[in-house]
Amino acid sequence: MKPAVILVGADKGGVGKTTVSRALLDYLAANNILTRAFDTEFPRGTLKRFHGPIAEVVDITQTSDQMRILDTLNSAQIKVSVIDTRAGALSATLRALRDVGFLEAVKSNDFTFTLLHVLGPSIASLDEIAETAPFIEGANYFLVKNHINATTFFEWDPVTNRRYFERVNPAGEIVIPKLDEMAYEQVEIAGVPFSTFVANKTAEGDPANSSFVLRGYVRTWQNKIAEELRRVRLLDILAQRT
Amino acid sequence: MLPGRDGRGPGDPPDDAEEARPPPRSYVFICCAPHGRVGVSTTARLLSDYFLASRRGFVGFDADPHEPDYAQRFSGRARNVDLNSTQGQIDVIDRLLVPDGEAKIIDLWSRSYDRFFTLIQDIGFVEEARSQNVEPVILFHADPSQASPSAAYQLAQALPTVETLLTYNEGAAPFGPQLQDKLALYPPHRRLKIGALDALVGRALQPLDLSLSYFLLDPPSEMSLVVRAGLKAWLTPIFAQFRAFEMRRALEDASWLI
Repeated sequence: MKPAVILVGADKGGVGKTTVSRALLDYLAANNILTRAFDTEFPRGTLKRFHGPIAEVVDITQTSDQMRILDTLNSAQIKVSVIDTRAGALSATLRALRDVGFLEAVKSNDFTFTLLHVLGPSIASLDEIAETAPFIEGANYFLVKNHINATTFFEWDPVTNRRYFERVNPAGEIVIPKLDEMAYEQVEIAGVPFSTFVANKTAEGDPANSSFVLRGYVRTWQNKIAEELRRVRLLDILAQRT
Repeated sequence: MLPGRDGRGPGDPPDDAEEARPPPRSYVFICCAPHGRVGVSTTARLLSDYFLASRRGFVGFDADPHEPDYAQRFSGRARNVDLNSTQGQIDVIDRLLVPDGEAKIIDLWSRSYDRFFTLIQDIGFVEEARSQNVEPVILFHADPSQASPSAAYQLAQALPTVETLLTYNEGAAPFGPQLQDKLALYPPHRRLKIGALDALVGRALQPLDLSLSYFLLDPPSEMSLVVRAGLKAWLTPIFAQFRAFEMRRALEDASWLI
């Protein structure tokens, strides 16, 4: 298996990048894929709060941290790295990856690169698609429609929809369904991975006392995401079984 | 689910042997119909009074936020819940899963019918309940509308392992002379018949403070003899059916029987 990098990002804030990263890490763990995660929300690190043992907080604009991620891709025993970019840092991260030659190496087939571009329901968010297009050659580029509320992605307006979604040729779209607000907040309070919450455990592995209804909502939501990731054959992409 | 045989009341302390014994299976009775005014609240009320009459407790939920008739009748034991809110769902579902041996009764508002059954499928309620020794039972209320049998089939398909009692209330949702033909359109569930009540006797049921369980034990002296007899004649076969259900389930659960 070649080293694989999954970049989860968006330039717009509040579209649920870290939520998608967390769901992704749970999915990979459930499929026995050992993963390391990099949280670029420096210095606070939201992802780190939920996935502490496998996540490191890095400043992607710093050379030393770029080295921590990229120079270890070949040497690390864990072959899948998930990078959760902080708000506003997708373009900067892609430029940095281009400048250090990572994107060239992807084109040469040295690494597998998957970009999960998380979209919010706004024109500003859709504008990012065009800005991202120059960087996606050789990458598995997925548009992630994160339904953080009941809104649509301009599907009701074919002109607007086409204008944005026809500019690029993504490998596919991934739809993240809406999670019940109270369930989401309870996981926030618990500060554990979604799967740990569903298993009714604390971060320390002790029995928790979370509502079955809320755990059920999270489990159903996770199952739908897993279905989406299976549909786009993410595991095959990581294993180069395309 | 057959306590009360030793004649002790629910408040009496258990002896040592009982303390070591796990609580009996807890039943969750979901009284429901996709349409309103077909006798769902009446069945919830009858079940509640059946448990009280046999000196057992229960926990009730009234899912109708506008006319919580059931909750008002059992104010200490049943409460009004809003299944449209996540908090309301937690209040009901998490309580249903407590394996305390006490019966839980839901008076499901017809407008919450779809939402409730979608929810319990989505969150895997039935599997979780069984793992906690909690057994759901659906009392699906038939009505003469064309949509009713197909709704019953949909529910049976969605929850195939849950016992459903096809409940028909001859007073609230009369089928008329073609009763058997119309009931034959439903899935082959066991049936529960709630008989029709004479209008005059039915009026005696209306006061919120009329407890059917107390009525059986000690009928109010001011009540007409005719009404008393009518009510008793109506209640007796209904409670007999509840008892038959319990006995059948107890026999099915008896591992010592070959």
